Amino acid sequence: MQLWLRRLASLKFTLVGMLLLGAGAAVSYGNPVDVSVWVLIVPLALLALNLSAAIVTNPGINRQPGLLLFHVCLLSTVVLAGVGRLTHLDAHLEIAEGQAFSPALLLEVQKGPWHMGDLDKVAFTQGHYTVDYEPQLKRGLTHSTVYLPAPDGSLTPRDVGDDRPLVLERYRFYTTHNKGFSPILTWIPDQGQAVTGRINMPSYPLFDYKQDNRWTPPGTQQEIQFWLQLDSGLDVEKSWVLDGRNSSAVLVVTVGDRREELQKGQEVSLPHGRLRYENLTTWMGYRVFYDPTIQWLFFVTVAGVLGLAHYFWQKLNLQAWMDEAETSSVDNHGASA
Amino acid sequence: MNVVAEQPWLWAGLGSYLVATLVAMWGVSPKHADSALVAGKRHEKVVLGFMLLAVALLSVAIAARWLRIGHGPWISLFELLMSQMWSLGLIFSFLYWRLPGLRPSAVIVLPVMWILGSWVLTLEPGISHFPATYYNSWKWIHVGIGKIFLALMLTGVGLGGVLILRTTERGRVWFRAMPADAVIDKLAWRLMMLALVFDSLMLIAGAVWAQDAWGRYWAWDALETSAFLTWLLLAIGLHVRLSYKVPPWVSGAIIIGVFIMAFSTYFGTPYLSPSAHKGVV
Repeated sequence: MQLWLRRLASLKFTLVGMLLLGAGAAVSYGNPVDVSVWVLIVPLALLALNLSAAIVTNPGINRQPGLLLFHVCLLSTVVLAGVGRLTHLDAHLEIAEGQAFSPALLLEVQKGPWHMGDLDKVAFTQGHYTVDYEPQLKRGLTHSTVYLPAPDGSLTPRDVGDDRPLVLERYRFYTTHNKGFSPILTWIPDQGQAVTGRINMPSYPLFDYKQDNRWTPPGTQQEIQFWLQLDSGLDVEKSWVLDGRNSSAVLVVTVGDRREELQKGQEVSLPHGRLRYENLTTWMGYRVFYDPTIQWLFFVTVAGVLGLAHYFWQKLNLQAWMDEAETSSVDNHGASA
Repeated sequence: MNVVAEQPWLWAGLGSYLVATLVAMWGVSPKHADSALVAGKRHEKVVLGFMLLAVALLSVAIAARWLRIGHGPWISLFELLMSQMWSLGLIFSFLYWRLPGLRPSAVIVLPVMWILGSWVLTLEPGISHFPATYYNSWKWIHVGIGKIFLALMLTGVGLGGVLILRTTERGRVWFRAMPADAVIDKLAWRLMMLALVFDSLMLIAGAVWAQDAWGRYWAWDALETSAFLTWLLLAIGLHVRLSYKVPPWVSGAIIIGVFIMAFSTYFGTPYLSPSAHKGVV
């Protein structure tokens, strides 16, 4: 068993594992979709086995506290990264101004089989936002206001955006470049209850030229086309702030051959009911990230590097090197003379 | 040609590096071995003086650009090269001062600086856009540690180059004042060990920044993969040296190989890859 472990701990095996990992990383360069993740997992698993065996059997590692700490932390990093993938959640969210977060709003959800987050406990309501732009639409800072419920029932505003995510129940919500306008509409059917909702238009200003969408009222088969004629103050030659509160729009409603332009508060009669354009609001796109291991990963990797630094510090001893160099240099001269 | 505020200072800095390079080369040449300046190693003080002058002039160039465009040298290749010439010069000057044994290797290190210097002269000093994700303070830690890592690698390249050149008669003459190969090899790899510590810290700081900036700490994008391969290559180099008895010139070649990978990670991948890693989205 001991012999077997020593063979598994061989430095030559380490080199093979590292070369395989390097090859795997090289073919994964730029994240091509047709390369399997196994090109990284297999060499990492081999290296983890090799490292575990080396920690147990190699006195060069397990009798040097700094080096031992580094290698244990390296192994722990691989394990934590694996646990992170098994428990992670990645998703996108499009949430409109005034809308409360609900897990049902998440889009393109990818999660590990062991994901056990308390997404149901996440509660916030989206407020307004502003995005600064330099000339030629170069995006600057995003300030998105979200409202968090306080124990007394009131709502507390918080400013998030860019590298300042909203972190709730370990879920991290990052603003993205994906955001836009969202007209609020009320559909009053000839028979039945009126319903109020919103239609998210395509990302703005990315799709400034096609602010349109379609909707079919419930109980009908008549599709309504919407087009937003926006006045957001956008001038690509100048600095500009995207702010829904300073924007207005005419809503163009098209049903078949009929075309109507609606100002805020106006309504139009359609074959099965009436449609009222209530207000113009905005929506914000968030990237949602959950990984319970990230703090642990940080501490473990830093501890590992400290271990490595401790080990190398003992080896460095530059003064000793200078003395050695001095002697050696004298010897060299002596030899050549 | 429209000359912007930082350019005269940049040119003066490059001129100062050029003088340092020429004096260093003059100092290793056997023709001048009997000169009082070389025999008393006073030319080394001249080299150090001009390197420090270059660093001072580049500091002014960076400050002038900062004032002109409103942000530090973080974004364009022009800015990065200028900033790296500053930090590489500063850290190499420190090591040159503290480790007299490596001083003749400046004839290898300074021409590498000149590759950067020649490159920066071909680039437009246009105004770059400062992305929102660059306001993050982890950027300072990531970039600062990365500068130390690259400077240690560059110093290692100087020593590695000496080990390779000493396989020739001319190389043995040029670097006659340096310690024996075994001693140089030992110092070179100790610098590589230190480089591994700083490279690891740079990756950790970069991962924290990436988590804040793009909502993920690691995504195997082109720059991350390239940075990981550099780290792995350095670790492979250290393990090769532990596992096998490698001749000094092979040892030097490994160090130079790792440096080439690091160099392409710094100055190639971010400007060739369409990935959003730069944050300019």
